[in-house]
Amino acid sequence: MAAPILQVRDLRTQFATAGGIVKAVDGVSFDLYPGESLGIVGESGSGKSMTALSILRLVPDPGRIVHGQVLFHDQDLLQLTGEEIREIRGRDIAMIFQDPQSSLNPVLRTGFQVDEAMLAHGRPRSQARARTLELLKKVRIPAAESRYKDFPHQLSGGMRQRAMIAMGLSNAPSILIADEPTTALDVTVQAQILELLADLNRELGTAIVMITHNMGVVAGLCTRVLVMYAGEIVEQGPVEQIFENPQHPYTWSLLKSIPRVDALRHERLRSIEGLAPDLLQPPSGCRFHPRCPFRIERCYTDEPHLQDVAPGQKAACWVTMDRARSEMGADKLIDIRPGAASGVHPGELR
Amino acid sequence: MAEAAVSGRPAPAPSSAKVLLRAENVVKYFPAGIGSTVHAVDGCTFEIREGETLGLVGESGCGKSTLARLVTQLIPATSGKIFFGDVELTKLRGEKLRQYRRQLQMIFQDPFASLDPRMTVGDIIAEPLDNFRVMRGRKRNDRVQELLRTVGLNPNFNNRYPHEFSGGQRQRIGIARALALNPKLVVCDEALSALDVSIQAQIVNLLEDLQRELKLTYLFIAHDLSVVRHISDRVMVMYLGKIVEIADSVETYSSPKHPYTKALLSAIPVPDPKVQRGRRLVELTGEIPSPIHPPSGCRFHTRCPIARLPTPCAEVEPPLEAKSRDHLAACHFSSDV
Repeated sequence: MAAPILQVRDLRTQFATAGGIVKAVDGVSFDLYPGESLGIVGESGSGKSMTALSILRLVPDPGRIVHGQVLFHDQDLLQLTGEEIREIRGRDIAMIFQDPQSSLNPVLRTGFQVDEAMLAHGRPRSQARARTLELLKKVRIPAAESRYKDFPHQLSGGMRQRAMIAMGLSNAPSILIADEPTTALDVTVQAQILELLADLNRELGTAIVMITHNMGVVAGLCTRVLVMYAGEIVEQGPVEQIFENPQHPYTWSLLKSIPRVDALRHERLRSIEGLAPDLLQPPSGCRFHPRCPFRIERCYTDEPHLQDVAPGQKAACWVTMDRARSEMGADKLIDIRPGAASGVHPGELR
Repeated sequence: MAEAAVSGRPAPAPSSAKVLLRAENVVKYFPAGIGSTVHAVDGCTFEIREGETLGLVGESGCGKSTLARLVTQLIPATSGKIFFGDVELTKLRGEKLRQYRRQLQMIFQDPFASLDPRMTVGDIIAEPLDNFRVMRGRKRNDRVQELLRTVGLNPNFNNRYPHEFSGGQRQRIGIARALALNPKLVVCDEALSALDVSIQAQIVNLLEDLQRELKLTYLFIAHDLSVVRHISDRVMVMYLGKIVEIADSVETYSSPKHPYTKALLSAIPVPDPKVQRGRRLVELTGEIPSPIHPPSGCRFHTRCPIARLPTPCAEVEPPLEAKSRDHLAACHFSSDV
């Protein structure tokens, strides 16, 4: 395997709030390889977006990156001056966001905003315009010439996201970070955007970091995935392996809790008991232990670290699903008793 | 379908089941500046059967939420009739209509915006009881506690305020409020969209349990087709103010009879890399047209992969008709789908 293009080492991002310190990202390490498409999944508050923002040092106040390294071509992005990191942003590592409406400037023409991304990195104005038109065509915006002059409000949500992608790609970055780029879009438009990203990844060799809460998006687009929970990576590995044989109980539960459109019969969903933890006071030991059906005594006190569970696959769990299956009957645990998971006690109702 | 009865789920209402609510050619136009109108809901006819869950799907702007508000008569229809049992709701006004509202309740999308931050949870849940002067004093408090238990919350939470609860818990509070008056029909308008997947599963399971215990009928609106597929007995698909397909949910998903339904289904990512990589996206070009000037003929013809243009698709509007038993679709070429 080629050398990683980006290495994140023990990244810690914290927010000082009136109630105490929120550890939004707490010791995250991973590698990104050239041309790959890496998914980061997790529920809200798991730290997936903060991880992405930390890479480009875009963490909003009062957030601070307090520890770690982000190595890009052997230079630590966290040590660069403001001037130096601005050179990297948009040129080597670009980012697109969930809401293209609020990421575009409403009073500037869409095409000009794409030009601007190139002007900022020293491309002459004369070249920028031609390249913008080429990019708008590449992201499959019909009638690119007239769309160039449109203001963002004249475009639909899908078009705006395409324009954002064009902007992201304008300086041919080696990494494109996409933070929930399709969450605000309808499914048919989402499918178009995902296909576009997959094609660009293949054609241009741009490495993609896809941040999403949607397991289906990861399954379709990514080759490797990181699963985050309460600020930490709890499992990582090749997508096929993680979906087929998840080893962390959180990943396993998450996959069992999503209804599938291709399901053949009605199965009761496996809900994860309880709530996401309060990051002001994360649980002791393994952060997932209060919600984990397979916890053992050790989980209450000792924090597990990522360990190899299969080739290329790591999980941070003292038990892992192999053992939960053989010793704890995990496969029988999907409780289909009426009322089992929802808190309703049959007979109590009128 | 036999497979739908697995896991103790109530058998879907057969087509002979009693009709709880019937909409006949319901239309809702909104004014949109001088001389133009938004054709939000444009002639919808369907029925909701007692005890079933009817799913309603479509992209944003297709008229789903407007239809929900028409069904509950929160807004008056421009034309058309809505019957609840034998009573024509669209004819009722004022106090008479208000009394029917007891039986028609709604659960909303945003668990943050739909609960008054200055009321205690107990008062929020009891508001329907107070409005209709159903219960007072001890009885009222007992009922609130019972409802809290019903939705899986601690009954002693009644003195707390909404901000003390998470999104999933707030959605449970919204459900308790909807159940307070023992309604017959509950309209869930994107009730799960704001929730994380693990919490979404809890609420889906809760809704299924409540339906079985309380013999509820649901109109379940969502843009997430996998959730709708999971929870519904029958599914209704809308496009630009029109119903394009209604059928048993298993059948809609296994053999859709409208190209739009097929395209929608193919666009949903399946959380399984092996399946997902092998699927072909029936790509819909472009996006949903404006409901101010809906396309002529079949409204889907501008994006349809099998449309024959100009005739008949751009000229003749296909009627919503039975293509097989209990399977309605509005397409000239449904056998080609």
